[in-house]
Amino acid sequence: MGEKKNHAEKQYQEIKTKAEVKKPLTQDKTVVMVGTATCGKAAGAIDVRETFKEEINKRKLNAEVVEVGCIGHCYAEPLVVISKPGFPSLCYGNVDEGLSSRLVEDYLVGDDPCYEYALVALEPNEEFPTFTDFPRGMFEQKVILEQCGLIDPEQIDHYIAVDGYHALAKALDMEPKEVIEMIKESRLRGRGGAGFPTGKKWDFCCMNVQDPVRYVICNADEGDPGAFMDRSILESNPHQVIEGLIICGYAVGASQGFIYVRSEYPQAVRRIYTALEQAREKGLLGEGILNTDFSFDIEVFQGSGAFVCGEETALIHSMEGKTGMPRHRPPFPAEVGFRGKPTVINNVKTLSYIPHILNKGVEWFQSIGTPDSPGTAVFALVGKIENTGLVEVPMGTTLRTLVYDVGGGIRNEKEFKAVQIGGPSGGCLPESALDIPIDFDSLQEAGAIMGSGGLVVLDEDDCMVEIARFFLDFTQKESCGKCTFCRLGTRHMLDILMRITTGQGEKKDIEILGDLAVDIKNGSLCGLGKTAPNPVLTTLRYFMDEYEEHIQGKRCPSLMCPELINFYIVPKKCSKLCSACVGSCPVEAIYTREDGLKAIDLEKCVKCNSCPLACPPEYDAIIKVSPPERVEELEKENA
Amino acid sequence: MNKKISITIDGKEISAEEGRELLWVALENDIFIPNLCALKEKDRPSASCRLCFVEIEGFPRPVTSCTQPVTEGMVVNTRSPEVDRLVGTAFELLLSDHRLGCSKCPKNKACALQRIAKERKLKLKPKRLDKFEKDTPIDDSTDLFVLDRNRCVLCGRCIWADRHIARVGAIGFSQRGIKRKVSTFGDKLLKDSPCIECGECVEVCPVGALVFKKDYGK
Amino acid sequence: MELLEGEKEVIISQVSEILGKHKHNCENLVPMLQEVQNQLGYVPELAMEMIADSLEVPAVAVYSIVTFYNQLRLNPPGDHQIRVCMGTACHMIGGQIILNSFERRLQIEEGETTEDRKFSLERVACVGCCAIAPVVVIDDLVDGKVTPTRVDGILLSFENSNNNEGKKEQEQKPVERGEGQE
Repeated sequence: MGEKKNHAEKQYQEIKTKAEVKKPLTQDKTVVMVGTATCGKAAGAIDVRETFKEEINKRKLNAEVVEVGCIGHCYAEPLVVISKPGFPSLCYGNVDEGLSSRLVEDYLVGDDPCYEYALVALEPNEEFPTFTDFPRGMFEQKVILEQCGLIDPEQIDHYIAVDGYHALAKALDMEPKEVIEMIKESRLRGRGGAGFPTGKKWDFCCMNVQDPVRYVICNADEGDPGAFMDRSILESNPHQVIEGLIICGYAVGASQGFIYVRSEYPQAVRRIYTALEQAREKGLLGEGILNTDFSFDIEVFQGSGAFVCGEETALIHSMEGKTGMPRHRPPFPAEVGFRGKPTVINNVKTLSYIPHILNKGVEWFQSIGTPDSPGTAVFALVGKIENTGLVEVPMGTTLRTLVYDVGGGIRNEKEFKAVQIGGPSGGCLPESALDIPIDFDSLQEAGAIMGSGGLVVLDEDDCMVEIARFFLDFTQKESCGKCTFCRLGTRHMLDILMRITTGQGEKKDIEILGDLAVDIKNGSLCGLGKTAPNPVLTTLRYFMDEYEEHIQGKRCPSLMCPELINFYIVPKKCSKLCSACVGSCPVEAIYTREDGLKAIDLEKCVKCNSCPLACPPEYDAIIKVSPPERVEELEKENA
Repeated sequence: MNKKISITIDGKEISAEEGRELLWVALENDIFIPNLCALKEKDRPSASCRLCFVEIEGFPRPVTSCTQPVTEGMVVNTRSPEVDRLVGTAFELLLSDHRLGCSKCPKNKACALQRIAKERKLKLKPKRLDKFEKDTPIDDSTDLFVLDRNRCVLCGRCIWADRHIARVGAIGFSQRGIKRKVSTFGDKLLKDSPCIECGECVEVCPVGALVFKKDYGK
Repeated sequence: MELLEGEKEVIISQVSEILGKHKHNCENLVPMLQEVQNQLGYVPELAMEMIADSLEVPAVAVYSIVTFYNQLRLNPPGDHQIRVCMGTACHMIGGQIILNSFERRLQIEEGETTEDRKFSLERVACVGCCAIAPVVVIDDLVDGKVTPTRVDGILLSFENSNNNEGKKEQEQKPVERGEGQE
């Protein structure tokens, strides 16, 4: 060990010195950073970027427009950060072309930062609050999201300037075994869902000493509906993942790594390719990394759209050119994996922690979170919540804090009903479960799983039977069809749920549903099948009353299931002077009665929910009723 | 040859080769364990039919015996309330997707499903579950045999025989999930596929999905 | 599906080119199929047979793969591909309603292509833009917060673009191209 000590470190410092010149926020000119991850783009970030560029060029200003990833505040996309010398860096939300021009005019040219449009300042100052001044910032602790949205993911120098790839240099100056020991000591658990200790996995991979060929794979086949953490990290800071993967390769003695990424994420794929190319140019990837004798390269494999390929053995099969079907484990991939060789497969987020642990040490990592689940948890916070976005909180934070303090509570003053956590393999937890801490083991006890981090907040308008049906529909469509329980069992469960949500359910259905769920959980071949019943099991456990309402009362208490509701215009509230609803109806089901008020032709109505949204709040005349026959009663009452 | 060890199945002491799959050890000693997809010659069990569950002392829950290597002193029970429940449900699920009408099926009395039903006292007609209505056209385009997908249990044995015994490559699985089925390339008729009509696939079919024409109307 | 005149030649030349770029082993099977689909919009039987030949595997093995993965298509798609996101967030906020709206307007079911081959309609599990649900991806553009009335607008804009000899499309294109160059 003595001889190679600090070899990589020296080489790294050289690279870093060159990179620092390009650090975005320390320049003496103004930098405009536009968040152009997929969600930013969808919200119009490209037009914003173009407007800034045009306006700056037109005025020949000394300012640079940089594209960055996602800062996590998705509710306010498109987001722009402006850093002007002499001012704190300010983040602006909901930026459109008009605001872009105005910011150039007033702030870049003039010196008015337009505080009324600013969301938050990035560094402490006298003028404007920073993240930590908001409740969300108080509870958030950013580790793997720290640089997301603040560096240009397509410029490796930005990453290096914030100490990127330093951990790799440190690792290369250690013995591989020491790296594994360090990860084991840190007690980092896999962020892909099940929470298996990462260091142990690496250790298993090295057990077979006879065969020197090993592989490491980054699993970026994020397929949970309602989750986008991995996409966001890959689009915002791909080098962090790549650095983690190289270190993993070094630790277990692999010379080839792969990133298995969904092809549904074209922008992430592009940014990974760019990042890999840049890492090779810098000598951080390829032959003799950082002038050591460690050689390692990474290839990209694009998934073809099969949720089940997130399962390790299915993922390997699909890379080998087979159908992506799981096989019985053991042997685990760490013993017999890709090409039959020992293989480590780690999730995007798991690998992202690796550089931080090496840089800041085991004790630092364990100081965050809980003893059994150290570190942070990253969630895609979506659904009926005020501040949707990507959040990172210490493990052990309660769901209540996450929903109310970080997420800002329920939108439109509605009543909280449940959180769906862990996607199709997870479960729905009610109000009474909000005080459980978020960690691998507590969530499992409550019937959900940590999953990879999708967290959907549901309110009083969301039907829990319908959400169970939705997830079963998903798993049933994504089932590979290999084993009996998953192929046929999930289909039967879906059929029963469809009967219930359309008012055809019978009393015995609940028992059959529950029994099937337990058997599928115990009898399926792979993790997808074993966890597929969770959404049903948790809704049966916590929301049985809603099932019963559907079956016995033939009504949907949340007024969501289309077959069990009707729309009705309350004549007393409707106005002759308004016809907003008429125009909103895509099928011309709304007509004007002889007295000038509006009514719905139920034969034509497709229950698309457009008219209640179109009805002006001062009238608020369109209601949903369940059971559907309730309309006839109302008509009589109002006749 | 691996060393001989001793295990106990249903109270019976058995000598077995260490590391062999439990399913075969049991079957060779005349202890019945339900199974459809297992084939002794296969390198790796597909473990897809989920019928061969057994209980092993020291294991928290039932395991599939086709994937379980035997070890010295292993104590196995082929029946237990938990095992029976899993096997019962898997069987009912398979039958909910299988066209009955045994009296008209050439495989009547030689069918693996009938055997399992008899041994485990299970009903052929699902009691809790609705039957999926399948009406896939029967492929009787070859001179030698008939493929009736309505009776297929997707065990995959025919595909293995086609690849590894006949070495032809006429059939494979297509689609996924509930749509999964045994197909030819482009879902053509067997006579328009590379099938050489050797009949190897028919020999291994445990049910009435692949049947020789000569056995029809017997 | 019967191939039109000239189609066969295009397939043969494109697939030969793709086969020339890759080592002929099974690990490259999925990447090759993805490239075929990128070039031709779908994976024709002829392409599957050519690839199977070069890898020395039965054609039915390639067919297994193509029918297994969502992304790979057996039939040519429409000129414009409409993919409606059916992730959790989209679903809870009305993704199904959006899908129904497209089905109603285009008079096709999800998974089908209109008779004039102009539009094909698909559902997609999740595009990861949950914060702006419900989401629709039209060709490569992600569109958020879609309503049934907007569905009409989206389709109208395509109809208009055709009447104006593709003017609208040209207006949109440069932005996309700019993207690619960076």
